[in-house]
Amino acid sequence: MDNQVYYEEFNMENPLPPLTKPPVDKIQLVKYAGASGDFNPLHYMDEVGQMAGTGGVIAHGMLIMGFVGQAVTRWIPNRNLKRLAVRFVDITKPGDKITVTGKIVDKQIKEGLGIITGEVIAADQNGGVKIKGMFEASLPLKEHGGKIKEVF
Amino acid sequence: MSDLSKMIGTELTSFSYAVERGKIRETALAIGDENPLYTDPEYARARGYRDVIAPPTFGICIDFWGGQDFMALCRKLQLNPVKVLHGEQEYQYFGEIYPGDTLNACCLLKNYIEKPQMSIFILETTYSNQNGEKVLVSRSTVIEKK
Repeated sequence: MDNQVYYEEFNMENPLPPLTKPPVDKIQLVKYAGASGDFNPLHYMDEVGQMAGTGGVIAHGMLIMGFVGQAVTRWIPNRNLKRLAVRFVDITKPGDKITVTGKIVDKQIKEGLGIITGEVIAADQNGGVKIKGMFEASLPLKEHGGKIKEVF
Repeated sequence: MSDLSKMIGTELTSFSYAVERGKIRETALAIGDENPLYTDPEYARARGYRDVIAPPTFGICIDFWGGQDFMALCRKLQLNPVKVLHGEQEYQYFGEIYPGDTLNACCLLKNYIEKPQMSIFILETTYSNQNGEKVLVSRSTVIEKK
């Protein structure tokens, strides 16, 4: 395994590297409808969005959570991610450019493993928050005397 | 509404789902997540996985494609579908999900809270693979506006 990440590599001072996604577009919503199986027409028929009062189609909340998952697994290897929890705060519309930011808010060693807790936020180009969430990861500790490299 | 309270702790639905390589790839591409762990078995094996793996929000694909029909759920919980919102989503990870796995999912109504402006439903789905290993737990907060 050449991508092992260790507990000591994370600190609570520096934010995690943000992930900025290309603007959401309608083609992506159609792709995500097919991929997820969520065929609610609110996500691909503007007239349904107009009836629902959103002025047109809106993105699947789970697509934006997918962006959050993408960001978190850039920070933490998938096998070390133990929990990802989000609250859907606001709707996302085509054209919105989402950036996912995060920071570590807690670090604890439990039973020989390093447990880190992070906060994560997905927001649009105007700072409008779409998702607020948290993640937990369980990371190995560097062996005593091992070289500690700061990756973030 | 007391009959809904009586449903707390009961199973709403259970289903099984066969995990396909193409669905994992399609989901990663739709999200725009270019992590090769979802598409390149060689890359995944070099990192200690036995094959490509499912991305962290794959649970929603299992639900919709595996038979957790949204309209059926609305009927069961007496929800008006156009007033329903997905308020919160949590995933807890216990193991990897690989192509070829057959997952068994069991969805419980974990809690039901009646408020003046809304009804809140907490659904908890546990997914186990063909070896009986629990791999994923999902907790969804579903809100019905009044």
